[in-house]
Amino acid sequence: MEEIFSSLVKDFVDETQPLTQEVGALLLKLEEVWRAGGDGKSLLRGIRSGLHTIKGNGAMMGFAPIERVAHALEDICPRVSDEPPADPAGLVQLLIEGCDLLGALVKSALAGDLPAGRADAFVERAAAAQALDRPAAAVPTGGEAPLPAVSPGAAVPAVADGDGGRGSARIADGDVDELLELAGETIVGQTELLRVQGRFARGQFESGDVALMDRLLVDLGRTTRQMRDKLLRVRLAPIATLFRRFGRYVRDLARERGQPIELDIEGGETAVDRAIISRLFEPLVHLVRNAVAHGIESAEERVAAGKPAGARILLSARLREGRVNVRIADDGRGLDLQAIAAKANAQGIDTSGFSEREMQRLIFRAGLSTAKAVTNLAGRGVGLDVVAGAVQGLGGSIDVRSTRGQGTVFALDLPVTVSLQKALIFGVDSETFAVPAGFILDTMESREKDLQEINRVLLISWRGDFARAVDAGRLLGCQGLAQAWARPYAIVLQAGNNRGALLVDWLSGVQEIVVKPLDETLVACAMVAGATVLAQGRVLPILDCMEVVRRISKALQPERSTEGKAEAAYDVF
Amino acid sequence: MSSDQGNVGTKADGVAAAAEPLLAFADALLSEGQRQPTHTPDEIRQYVTFILRDEEYGIPILQCREIVRVLAVTRVPEAPDHVRGVVNLRGHIVPAVDTRRRFGFEPAPLTARSRLLVVEVAGRLFALIVDRVARVLKVPASDIEPPPEGATLPGATGLARVGEAVVHLMDADQMLRAGAAAAGTTTRGEEA
Repeated sequence: MEEIFSSLVKDFVDETQPLTQEVGALLLKLEEVWRAGGDGKSLLRGIRSGLHTIKGNGAMMGFAPIERVAHALEDICPRVSDEPPADPAGLVQLLIEGCDLLGALVKSALAGDLPAGRADAFVERAAAAQALDRPAAAVPTGGEAPLPAVSPGAAVPAVADGDGGRGSARIADGDVDELLELAGETIVGQTELLRVQGRFARGQFESGDVALMDRLLVDLGRTTRQMRDKLLRVRLAPIATLFRRFGRYVRDLARERGQPIELDIEGGETAVDRAIISRLFEPLVHLVRNAVAHGIESAEERVAAGKPAGARILLSARLREGRVNVRIADDGRGLDLQAIAAKANAQGIDTSGFSEREMQRLIFRAGLSTAKAVTNLAGRGVGLDVVAGAVQGLGGSIDVRSTRGQGTVFALDLPVTVSLQKALIFGVDSETFAVPAGFILDTMESREKDLQEINRVLLISWRGDFARAVDAGRLLGCQGLAQAWARPYAIVLQAGNNRGALLVDWLSGVQEIVVKPLDETLVACAMVAGATVLAQGRVLPILDCMEVVRRISKALQPERSTEGKAEAAYDVF
Repeated sequence: MSSDQGNVGTKADGVAAAAEPLLAFADALLSEGQRQPTHTPDEIRQYVTFILRDEEYGIPILQCREIVRVLAVTRVPEAPDHVRGVVNLRGHIVPAVDTRRRFGFEPAPLTARSRLLVVEVAGRLFALIVDRVARVLKVPASDIEPPPEGATLPGATGLARVGEAVVHLMDADQMLRAGAAAAGTTTRGEEA
């Protein structure tokens, strides 16, 4: 019963969370339209229908606080037929606050704890605003602010969680049908291959069998590739889902500074892997925050420099040569190269021969990206080296261009999709490797008594059975002296019908990694399938388990020089 | 709601008109570096030179992408002998070539002056590990001599005499192309 309920709650959150975000985005739009003197009728329709759905969803689940807040919002939200409100700014502010509260409530539904008090407080405020008639909708909140203001230093609560793609993805029914059809074709293909294989096994093959097998394999290859492409497309989402979340953030930052800042979005329709969208959020927050905190001058400074007092920030995305170019531009003061040089020199970097570009890129170095180095503004510097690391972790790169007094552009070059894989990270001697989790049967502690050697074949006892084992350091050519018997852990791998264990020094948890291919110079490295970059920028080889298990099944234990003693180092090199 | 969602999207994109100046500015800044290098007169050739042991070698400046301090090199099991591993160059995984080994010299430990000279060959990046980077050399084509008879360095294209110094001029493409095939087999042969 509980399980059913919790899955219902999850569905509710999956469906309602995006709705609150959509309503929030529409409200921001409405604020803009009203400020410009428009009536925003089409927006009002969308807002009201969104609120209505949220109210209905909340009621269906018995989440009274959500239902009540949505209802109160519906009450204060003008109808399309209504006269324009007397105090549009105050009203829209109240609506936005309420919508934020809805988002927070929906989120807390997952935790199973709905703060009814906050909901009641808001309903009261909304009722008060309504009782005083619309002009007074902006009644002061009476000292206790129900929602914390977003500060540039804080973790951006208003936009931090959303449909970034960590959870579930919506798939159109048509796509599911096509995928099922493709899956069906692969099963048919496999069945036919089995039939041919059966004839071969019995020695009764027919004349056309080899050609038939070729054809079946080609078909199978085609359908599986189609399936993969189809699935990759399912993972794509317009990058607007990410960009839109910044509307609110920039608006709040602007309010806080008391200076108008416009956010321009270009190329929101560009389709990008959800995995990238969700991992791009934090780097973008850093960059946008940087632009506002350090790039954009005060209104006075801007006017003195002959610029409009209101600043602009641009988020743009474009597809180019199969990659996505994302740009974050501001029309602020630009990078202060002299300050960067001073900071670099203080760190012992000789910048005398540096070109302007090289100087600008220095801001991506650890310790050089603090606010003081970049601008004269005091303030918290955000580690641009961390941003660069995150972008690199996605298989992308970051660059910066800036013109003093005119602005700064950060340019991110990213793949459209990333190949993500769950992998276990292990260490042997002083090196570190990743093993795709799909090949791992088990991991365990390895004690000397679990190992035995028969005819120079090393075996490890595993679940009442034996598996061939091999010292990972020796197999992978690490420069250490430890040997199989001294390794404290074993990873049991299964690839095809073969099984084998790697004896290693340490294991760390399974994590999601981005798989990158290696240059063809390294094709001969059959045991390595690719590489991944960890958050700290460190590169790890990813093992090709088919090959590794094949090698384990052929490996022979080197002759042991002295009997039994693990300390006896042997020379394998 | 879906139509309203679309509404927001198009409206947001619609403000692009207002964003035009910023967009143009961003474009102009970003395209700056992509301009073709200014035409150099035929008679002057430019090389980035580096030192290995006590000799100076030059690679055409157009093949060089950048020079960086030596980053952590990750060894790749069973890599050819002259490939010390891979490095992370702003998100790109790039083979790190032990240039000493490539030339058949004794490998040497890295020092504070060691650098990665990143070269681009047929669209692929390679990081050459060198003892140190020396200078950008401009040399009149007429001063370049053919490589000495019987020279064995892979990719050697000529010799430049600059004052007292002799600079071995190399072509990164030939140097690495030959490397991929030859070095792998020869070293394996030696081991056997």
